[in-house]
Amino acid sequence: MTVVIGFEGSANKIGVGIVRDGVVLSNPRRTYITPPGQGFLPSETAKHHRGVILTVLKEALQQAGLKPADIDCVAYTKGPGMGAPLVTTALVARTVSQLWGKPLLGVNHCIGHIEMGRLVTRANNPTVLVIALQDIREERLDRARVRICDKLSRKNLVKLRAKIREISPCFCKPFKTIIVPINYHQNGRHSSGGKLPRTGSNPARVIKISNDPSPGYNIEQMAKRGKQYVELPYTVKGMDVSFSGILSYIEEAAHKMLGSRQCTAEDLCFSLQETLFAMLVEITERAMAHCNSQEVLIVGGVGCNLRLQEMMGTMCKERGARLFATDESFCIDNGAMIAQAGWEMFRAGHVTELPDSWITQRFRTDEVEVTWRD
Amino acid sequence: MAAPCNEYPANIALRSLLPDREPRKGGISKDLSVSDNAMSVKWTADEARILRVSVGSFLDHLALVLETMEEFGPPLTL
Repeated sequence: MTVVIGFEGSANKIGVGIVRDGVVLSNPRRTYITPPGQGFLPSETAKHHRGVILTVLKEALQQAGLKPADIDCVAYTKGPGMGAPLVTTALVARTVSQLWGKPLLGVNHCIGHIEMGRLVTRANNPTVLVIALQDIREERLDRARVRICDKLSRKNLVKLRAKIREISPCFCKPFKTIIVPINYHQNGRHSSGGKLPRTGSNPARVIKISNDPSPGYNIEQMAKRGKQYVELPYTVKGMDVSFSGILSYIEEAAHKMLGSRQCTAEDLCFSLQETLFAMLVEITERAMAHCNSQEVLIVGGVGCNLRLQEMMGTMCKERGARLFATDESFCIDNGAMIAQAGWEMFRAGHVTELPDSWITQRFRTDEVEVTWRD
Repeated sequence: MAAPCNEYPANIALRSLLPDREPRKGGISKDLSVSDNAMSVKWTADEARILRVSVGSFLDHLALVLETMEEFGPPLTL
């Protein structure tokens, strides 16, 4: 039996989860919720995490009914994410790892999403759509870089690369993964790197949507009451989607339409979802065709959106493929996903020595050498 | 990796705090060292403003590590 504890704190959630051989023993979590229309800043978020992380850790141990001595490995999110919250989480993981005399293991956040999705849905080797809100730094929302990583032969690789410009050069990894960052609070100030090309592009802020429990959830609820479809820019080029047109449209034209009551905020949420998700379904379908895949797994915070699952389901049905999705307990950032990815990695012999345990805001999924899957 | 069990707390804290580099490139350097059970930190900074940010976040980090050691220490003897 291998027991792994996982610490996740790359964005506005702080979670600690314990996994024993594919069973989630506990998975408590807290979310830093900011006022409507505001994103979360790194330092404020880190402060929130510092205040609750030890309580969450105690809860995780209590709910699992375990003592520190029962733990075999301490996994934590190494990146990608916001610097200050990542450091906070890593500090506690490093300290308890030393106190308990257990090996430490840094985990890629996206790999956590993927492995948790595989565990929960029992999907074997699906095409994965990772849709994350805030925490995927290097894959920007504006001009989102969408990549497919796949277990491919050299020949296929060359073929694929010719088709897909944005494909990464170093990627013989057992993932067919599309990573799409969707951030309803896209705003230069809120990104740790501060390098996002546009500032102020922020649908949730324009429409003033509550962050409780999350802007995505509230957009989904409002969208259900939307009646009128407002046409938004639809940009798909190969495997590449661009959301920048939507952002500037919502900010400018839609803002005026709201003011003159030509449409409601509900209509905008509805149109936003329909447009974004149609783009995502299209590139997912293309990825499946490229990779010859008959399974789709949606993970990441937006992955629990039922409308997206419905649209993806329709596409899968038409292709005779299967769709796998999870609910909010495992889609949204949580500690168990880090524990699960850590469990796989630890069993394959990975550990992170303390001097190498630095966090990193940018950490591409395909930088991870996958040794735990065939 | 795991530390020996009869370790000074200052050494545990040192190893928890060392791995992360200063977020800012240049203009500041920080050296941490431990002798017996006392940690010493030496900062060198170009500007007071940069120094203040670095010291502030270091103290936040140290406080969290100390709190963790209080709650979940002393080191387990196996």
